[in-house]
Amino acid sequence: MASKSGRAVAELETEKSDNGRKNGNGRELMLGLYKMLVKCRMCDEKARILFRQGKYAGNFYSGVGQEAAEVGAAYSLREDDWIAPSHRDWTANIIKGAPLNLCFAQLFGKATSPDRGKSTPAHMGYPPIHTITPASSIAGQLAVGTGVAFGLKKLGRDTVVVSFFGDGATSLGGFHEALNFAGVHKLPIVYVCQNNLWAESVPLRLQTALKDLSDRAKAYGFPGISLDGNDVMAVYDAATRAIARARAGEGPTFLECKTYRWYGHSEIDPAKYRMKEEVEAWKKRDPLVLFEKVLRDKKLLTDESKADIAKEITQEINEAVEFAEQSPYPDASELADHIWAQE
Amino acid sequence: MPRNITMIEAITEAMAQEMERDDRVFVMGEDIGLSGGVFKATAGLYDKFGEERVLDTPLAEGNIIASAIGASMVGLRPIAEIQFADFITPAMESLVQQASKIRYRSAGGYGCSLTVRICCGGGTGGGLYHSQENASWFVHEPGLKVVMPSTAYDAKGLLLAAIRDPNPVLYFEHKKLYRTAKGDVPDGDYTVPIGKAEIRRQGRDMTIVTYGYMTGLCLEAAEQMSKNGVDAEVIDLRTLSPLDKETVLDSVRKTSKCLVVHEDKRTLGIGGEISAIIAEEAFDDLDGPIVRITGPDIPAIPFAPPLEHAWMVNTEKIVAGMEKLAAY
Repeated sequence: MASKSGRAVAELETEKSDNGRKNGNGRELMLGLYKMLVKCRMCDEKARILFRQGKYAGNFYSGVGQEAAEVGAAYSLREDDWIAPSHRDWTANIIKGAPLNLCFAQLFGKATSPDRGKSTPAHMGYPPIHTITPASSIAGQLAVGTGVAFGLKKLGRDTVVVSFFGDGATSLGGFHEALNFAGVHKLPIVYVCQNNLWAESVPLRLQTALKDLSDRAKAYGFPGISLDGNDVMAVYDAATRAIARARAGEGPTFLECKTYRWYGHSEIDPAKYRMKEEVEAWKKRDPLVLFEKVLRDKKLLTDESKADIAKEITQEINEAVEFAEQSPYPDASELADHIWAQE
Repeated sequence: MPRNITMIEAITEAMAQEMERDDRVFVMGEDIGLSGGVFKATAGLYDKFGEERVLDTPLAEGNIIASAIGASMVGLRPIAEIQFADFITPAMESLVQQASKIRYRSAGGYGCSLTVRICCGGGTGGGLYHSQENASWFVHEPGLKVVMPSTAYDAKGLLLAAIRDPNPVLYFEHKKLYRTAKGDVPDGDYTVPIGKAEIRRQGRDMTIVTYGYMTGLCLEAAEQMSKNGVDAEVIDLRTLSPLDKETVLDSVRKTSKCLVVHEDKRTLGIGGEISAIIAEEAFDDLDGPIVRITGPDIPAIPFAPPLEHAWMVNTEKIVAGMEKLAAY
C-alpha cells in the first residue's frame, strides 16, 4: 500500500489536466480535495446524528473512513460524466455537485428530494448530475452502470462512468457478467471497489481467497490496481489516469481502494463482530488526518484556514438540514406516480 | 400492401423496419448476429445493419438486460433477446429490481425504454428447459408491460408498439406459432395498441379468455361446441399487463359465464387473476363458476411425447371445460 501521492502532486503541478473539471494547479487541487474530504466527512457525521436523533427513519450507511477513496475517484469527473453509486455512496452526490439541500431532503424522504421520497435515505441519485438512483440489490447498480457506459460508447460520446461498490459486490454473478462485458467492448468505465474488509459482518477471508481484489481484473482483460484507499492523492492519481484511459476509448480499469469503514454496516449495526484493535488501528490512518499532514507540510493549511473551512461547511449543512426539515413530505396521492412513462 | 407471411417473418420485418426508421434502435442477444438467431428471428439483420446494431452478446442473460437498461437510460432503444423463456431467470435482478423500478425509484428522473423479446412455450418436444412460458412472473411486477401475440398481424404491430413504448415491454413469442401462425400482414408501418384485447369470435353463451398459442385452440374448440349449440366468445388478451379488464368484463356481463385458458402453470397464473377480477367486479352477472383450463402444477414440461402431451392444454381439454361450464 505504498503511497504515490508525491509523484502525483509533482506531475499535476507541471501537467495541465485535460480531464474536464478545472482542478487548477497542485495547490488548488490539493485544497479542493481537502475541502471535499471535510465536506463529505461532516455531512456523513451529520447524517448519522440526525438518524440517531430520530429525525428520519429507515437507515443510513456511513462511509466515514472511506472518504479518500470516494473523493479521489470522483473529484476529477466532468459534469457530463456518470456515477453509479452504491448504498454507502450518498456523498458521491455531493462530490459530483448535488446541492446539499437535496442531499439532506433525501435523508428525510421529503418531496423536495430528487426522488420525491421514493428511494431510501442513502440510496440517492440525481439525474441532472448523472448519478444513478441505486437499488439496494448489491452489484445490480454496477451492472446498470456498465450498461450506461455501453450506451455512451454506442452514442460516440467521450463520457465516462465511475462505478462504486464494496468488496462484497465482487462475489456476485452480476459483477462477473458486467466486468466481462465491459472488457469485451472496452467500455468507458472505471470500477472503484472500496474494499473495507467487511461485507456487513462477513470478513474478507470468507469473501474471497484473493489477497488483492484487483487480481479479478485479469480475468476480464483490463488493468487492475490495488492502492491505499486512505491516500486521497494516490486514489486521485490512479483514478485520473483510469478516467483518461476510459475517455480515450482504451477501456475499463479496476481500482481496489483498500480502506475501512469506521462504523457498522448501517446505523443499526453496532459492529461487535470486529476487533476493537482493528478499528483503532484504522482510525489512526484517518484519510483526513493523513492528508492534513501533507497540506501542513506544504504550508497549504493552517489552524485558521482549517477552522474557516469547517465553519463554512457547518453553515452550509445547517441551512440544508433546515431546508430538509421544513420541506413537506410527499402527499399520499403521489403513491402511484412514476410507475409508467406517459407516451 | 398485405402479404401472407408467418409470425417469425413479421417479427423480423418489424425489427428491420424500425431499425431503418430509428437509428436509436438496435438488437442484442445470444446467437442473434452471425447465425441470425436459433429460430432465425433476426435473419438478415446482421448483414444489413452490421455488428454495431446487431450484437452477439456473451452468454449472460442478466447482463443482456442490464446493459440494455443502461443503454436505454442514455436515450437508445434496445431490443434484447432472451433465447428461451426458461433462461430468463439469471435476468430476474435486471428485470425485476432495475427495469421495473428505475423510473419509480427516481420519481421519473430515469426511464427505461426497453423491449425484451422472449421465445417461449411448449408442445415442440423441447423438454423441461426449452418449453416454459413464465410470463406470469412478470405480470406481478408493475412497471413492466407484458405482451404475447397470437397472429402474424399482431406480432408485427405489437412489436413496433413495444419498441416505441417509453416503458420496458416484455414481448413473449410462442415458438409453436413462429411458422404456423400465418396471415395477412401489411408491409407498411402500423402498431397494435398495448393494453387492448381483441375479440376473436363473437358469441352469446360463454366467454373464453386466452392469449398466445392457446387462442387458436380456443377458436377450434368454440367451432366444435357451436355444433352443440354453445356460442362462445373468444377474447385474445394480447397484452397480459396492463390487462384490458373492460373488454373481459363487458363480455362476461353479456355471456354470464367465463372460461380462462392458458398454457402456463395454474397456481397464481393469469387465470387466477382474471377469475379474481371477474369475481370482484362482475359477480352478480355470473351464472356459473369461473372455469380454468391451464397447464398443471407440475415443475415443467417433460420430454417424452406422452408426458408432454399430457401436460399441454389441447382442444379436447378446452371442449371439456366448455361442456362443464355449459351445464350451468
